[in-house]
Amino acid sequence: MKKTIKTIKILFIILVLIIIFVLVNKLLSPKYMENLVEGSMIAEYYDEEKNHEVIFIGDCEVYANFSPMVMYEQEGISSYVRGTSQQLVWQSYGILKETLKYETPKVVVFNVNSLRYSEPVSEAYNRLTLDKMKWSKEKVEMINASMTKDETFISYVFPILRYHSRFSELNKEDFEYMFKEKKNTFNGFLINKKVKPAGNLPTKKVLPDYNFSENCIKYLDKMTQICKDNNIKLVLIKAPSLYPYWYDEYNNQIIQYAEKNNLDFYNLKEVADLVGIDYEKDTYDGGLHLNLTGATKLSTYFSKILKENYDLKDYRKDESVNKIYQEKLKLYKQAIKD
Amino acid sequence: MKKGLIIALIVLVVIVGGIEIGITLNKPKSVSDNSNDVANKNTEQAEVFTFKDGDKQMTPGELFSKETIGLGDEESYSEIASCAFEGLDKTYTYPNYEITTFPDGEQDRIYTIYFLNEEMTTQEGVRVSDSMEKMVQTYGEDYKVQGNQYTYTKGKTNLEFIVENETITSIQYSYVTE
Repeated sequence: MKKTIKTIKILFIILVLIIIFVLVNKLLSPKYMENLVEGSMIAEYYDEEKNHEVIFIGDCEVYANFSPMVMYEQEGISSYVRGTSQQLVWQSYGILKETLKYETPKVVVFNVNSLRYSEPVSEAYNRLTLDKMKWSKEKVEMINASMTKDETFISYVFPILRYHSRFSELNKEDFEYMFKEKKNTFNGFLINKKVKPAGNLPTKKVLPDYNFSENCIKYLDKMTQICKDNNIKLVLIKAPSLYPYWYDEYNNQIIQYAEKNNLDFYNLKEVADLVGIDYEKDTYDGGLHLNLTGATKLSTYFSKILKENYDLKDYRKDESVNKIYQEKLKLYKQAIKD
Repeated sequence: MKKGLIIALIVLVVIVGGIEIGITLNKPKSVSDNSNDVANKNTEQAEVFTFKDGDKQMTPGELFSKETIGLGDEESYSEIASCAFEGLDKTYTYPNYEITTFPDGEQDRIYTIYFLNEEMTTQEGVRVSDSMEKMVQTYGEDYKVQGNQYTYTKGKTNLEFIVENETITSIQYSYVTE
């Protein structure tokens, strides 16, 4: 009996230590709720009702430029944007695979901008995509494919290894959002109402190689295959950003890839006039990303393409889904007014 | 109970020790750290590629200040924001070359110097439109090849040539970020 009590006491102390360790990990990890909110977007999806017929996958060119709320209001399309900052193609593949565990959309829209990056680029951006992602086989694969030279897998498992120096930087946000989260997007769309007209851009440099790397094409092939296997229409797009330059050589490769694999490709920069984008007013950073007015125009235009070509349901006629969207639209309209 | 406390202490030591080892192994190297390394190396060893335009001298990785370098007003200027983070990549375009900087805390460091035409030459006299043969004669064969690009490295600086049909079509000095 005495021995049992001793064992219980030891186990209790160990448990307390583990709890302290977990809490410290939680406290030191960035919350991405008030600052760098781009890091919170990946996790917002998990709490959503999974009723989306269209899923957008890609980098900042999707979460800044496509508003599911507009697409719902205009055409009754139920969609979600699973975009993250500088999402690389192997991350897009992982996110697509993860999404398919929750739901099978009719259409996956992939922004091809990231194909220009053949290797992992930056730990800071990796963290924005990966930190808040739920643990899964896909997350493990994504971390392994994404790590830059100085990164280690273990630091993703125990964030304290990476963020221990945040002790001195802890602020109100770290305590306020230690056990709760808030939504910063509307179905993955991050509202930005600032206006910064497009001005001078750097010179369009000669590149050493315009071919997409084998690694990128390998992951694009995987995305094509997984969509085919699940009877999903994969649609390739290039958002209408002025910079970084989307070279003709890039564009031609995508056209050829789309033809070869029987995919649709829309270069939306080529139709920017038709969409009505005014780069003096519709961008928040000089032409890299669209602001709210630009995203509204582009979403209106693209929702018509989706509706006309991919046999999508009008969810405004579906009582249960419509109820969810009407509540979101109320909040959205308030947010764009504020 | 005494035994229990000892075991608990051992567990605590193992956890803290593990974290310490992890922290040591994972100690992040900030851009600032890297840049200072470069700046120090640049001044101590001078084993770097330096760009010269008359009496103006610039080395990738060094702090950028138009006043210190003696640059006048640029022909055009642009700012490129990052997708999520603070700070701007800035580009200063002069008649014959373009300088791009990256933010390092409150300051900017030179990231690239890109030749815009045949007027500009490297310190060693190579210009856009010269032959690849001249590049090899001047800088040797200790280069890395990526596509059409031939890269010579000294310290944390690169000198990059793009060659098409045996002719140099692009020259750029750059800072090695990894």
